[in-house]
Amino acid sequence: MLVPDTARLGADAIVASGQLAQSESGMTGLESYVPLILLIAVAGAFAVFSVTVAPLVGPRRYNKAKLDPYECGIEPSPQPVVGGGRVPVKFYLTGMLFILFDIEMVFLYPYAVAADSVGLFGFVSVFIFIVAITIPYIYEWLRGGLEWD
Amino acid sequence: MLTSSVLTSGLLAQQGQPPGQGGAPEIDYLAILPIIIIFGAAAVGVLLEAVLPKHQRWSVQVGLSILAIVGAGLAFAYYVSDAPTEGITTIAGALSIDQPALFLWGTLLALGFGSILLIADRSVEPGGAFVAEAAIRPGTVQDRAQAQTTGMQTEVFPLALFALGGMMTFCAANDLLTMFIALEVLSLPLYLLCGLARRRRLLSQEAAVKYFLLGAFASAFFLYGLALLYGYAGSVKLADIATAAAGTDRSDALLFGGLGLLVVGLLFKGSVGPFHTWTPDVYQGAPTPVTAFMAACTKVAAFGGMLRVLTVAFESTSWEWRGVLWGVAIVSMVIGAILGLTQTDVKRMIAYSSIAHAGFLLIGTIALTDQGVSATMFYLLAYGFTTLAAFGVVSLVRDSSGEATHLSQWAGLAKRSPLIAAVFTFLLLALTGIPLTSGFVGKFVVFSAAIEDGMAPLVVIALVASAVAAFFYLRVIVLMYFSEPAEDGPTVSVPGTFTTAAITLGVAVTVLLGVLPTVVLDWATAGGGFAS
Amino acid sequence: MTPTYYLLLAALLFCIGAVGVLIRRNAVVVFMCIELMLNSVNLTLITFARIEGGLEGQVMAFFVMVVAAAEVVVGLAIIMAIFRARRSASVDDTNLLKY
Repeated sequence: MLVPDTARLGADAIVASGQLAQSESGMTGLESYVPLILLIAVAGAFAVFSVTVAPLVGPRRYNKAKLDPYECGIEPSPQPVVGGGRVPVKFYLTGMLFILFDIEMVFLYPYAVAADSVGLFGFVSVFIFIVAITIPYIYEWLRGGLEWD
Repeated sequence: MLTSSVLTSGLLAQQGQPPGQGGAPEIDYLAILPIIIIFGAAAVGVLLEAVLPKHQRWSVQVGLSILAIVGAGLAFAYYVSDAPTEGITTIAGALSIDQPALFLWGTLLALGFGSILLIADRSVEPGGAFVAEAAIRPGTVQDRAQAQTTGMQTEVFPLALFALGGMMTFCAANDLLTMFIALEVLSLPLYLLCGLARRRRLLSQEAAVKYFLLGAFASAFFLYGLALLYGYAGSVKLADIATAAAGTDRSDALLFGGLGLLVVGLLFKGSVGPFHTWTPDVYQGAPTPVTAFMAACTKVAAFGGMLRVLTVAFESTSWEWRGVLWGVAIVSMVIGAILGLTQTDVKRMIAYSSIAHAGFLLIGTIALTDQGVSATMFYLLAYGFTTLAAFGVVSLVRDSSGEATHLSQWAGLAKRSPLIAAVFTFLLLALTGIPLTSGFVGKFVVFSAAIEDGMAPLVVIALVASAVAAFFYLRVIVLMYFSEPAEDGPTVSVPGTFTTAAITLGVAVTVLLGVLPTVVLDWATAGGGFAS
Repeated sequence: MTPTYYLLLAALLFCIGAVGVLIRRNAVVVFMCIELMLNSVNLTLITFARIEGGLEGQVMAFFVMVVAAAEVVVGLAIIMAIFRARRSASVDDTNLLKY
């Protein structure tokens, strides 16, 4: 048996607590969803309104640039054919940096939640961690990894 | 790229904070000082890389790396001089600094020192074995231009230090999570180092891709094993797994599934048996100093980790899994010995030799006695220095297009350079296991530990495999001494200080351990076993 | 609702990933399959953490995520380098080392 003690799971307990919250608030059935449905309706109406009214009231100026793949007017220069064209390393580099510095949150968030109970030791640990990720940041910065051109 | 290694080393700092438990854990800073020095120096190396002008980087990085390893060695020696025999666990039980861990740390620091010397050499090839600008595309005009420059991508030094620190942590890791983080800290820099060769860059990059994809695949297996064992024991501490395995009321499927997957990940790193497929390609494609580093140090780390996991966590269930590892050891020895015969490239040949040696090491590892542990550690030390020096010699034999690694180019080498041929002959004899070399003593202690533990049939197979393997080492020796040199054969470069020092170190240790093995054997057998 | 289902799902994902690594030819897709395997490990860890009633498994999942991110960066850098040289990320094209 994979599960030694199913009673400890608490899955049922969560379902039960959900029902409890519903009955306490005094609403039953679909009534509790009314605000949500209203919000969806308002959001949908706003979107439809914006899209239909904008062309009616806005100025119309057609030119060649509007027909380009990118409206900035610059053609995507080497065409992406198989075996040719340039590989835009810049985008990849930026994406890579984003992944690295983004994922640090994974450690900072639990620390923020538990900051009281882990005390000074936790603070020092997190501080060392931040120093450790600042070092590659400095490397990246000074070696030109953050310059787009 | 460096970011990742720094990041993971930062995580090691985080390990000090055990989940779900307030208060600060006890940390024996003196005991872990060697690791702190290595990681600290690597982080400083990254900073220096950012602030120093290009022409100063090489000398500063070499100085820093050597200083760091020597400093870590001094801290290590100071701690060893009055370390408790039974060992300690520190950082809330994440690291176990016991006698085997200390022996392996010493081995790793010494081998790491030799590897750094090989990596730092710039005399054999102007500018060193590493590429000047890794971002330049191979095969272009700029690439040909950069092959003539004397610059090099000096990030190599911090990367090597990160890998070394990861290996040291791996040997001492007392729970599977720390072990996994250490595994990644040692692997990620190695993936990058493999792809940084100055010559034959496509080959080198291919080696990096292969090593990376297969390495990541193997660490996924390791990790799934970890998860299943967590489900089995409710903890990833090796001691808790051992306690849980001693009881009988839990699911064996989780235990053996987890153990199997975990061991596959470890066997991959040790390039054992059927999990060796990356080894020849990566050893051939990677820059030779990096190959030396991988062959010597990664093997120490992988088998150190395997010894600890099998001895501490799974000793009580050894009846169930030992048969399987018998089979793996046999497969590894047979593959290494037979396929080694068919190789035409020196680096690939040594790679197959390392697969055969991994089989021998596995025999010592599954003996699970104190004698088996100390014999395996001695073998790791002996093999590490021999193979380090062998790759050092390989980097010296060159022609106009770089290293001449094809065996036909080595014909008649003794006539061109008697000294180098003699040194290489000695190293090959040590790999074969001829008496008066460290290889002989290593095989002797491992095989006697295995016989003591009732594995005589395995030892017979191992002896046959080493006899077969002896044939391909002897073939190279015969080729060097009794063939006519080719017309446009390679020349033997005069090695600079660094490579000379590394090869001398390797040869000296090989001789010393062959003639006076007791000095080290006493240390390997002294003191208590694993602490957990 | 027993957590066994989650364990089975995780095992299934792990197998899909492993098979993908073995049969797909594009290095990036192979790499994505490895990431799938790592994520199945995360699911397993969290399910076991739920069974145990502790936090340890969840914290381990964090570590796995961070390591996976570090691996992505290193791996993509290597794949990118070889892609620029070869104009192809197929693992079949990397054949210089086959004898």
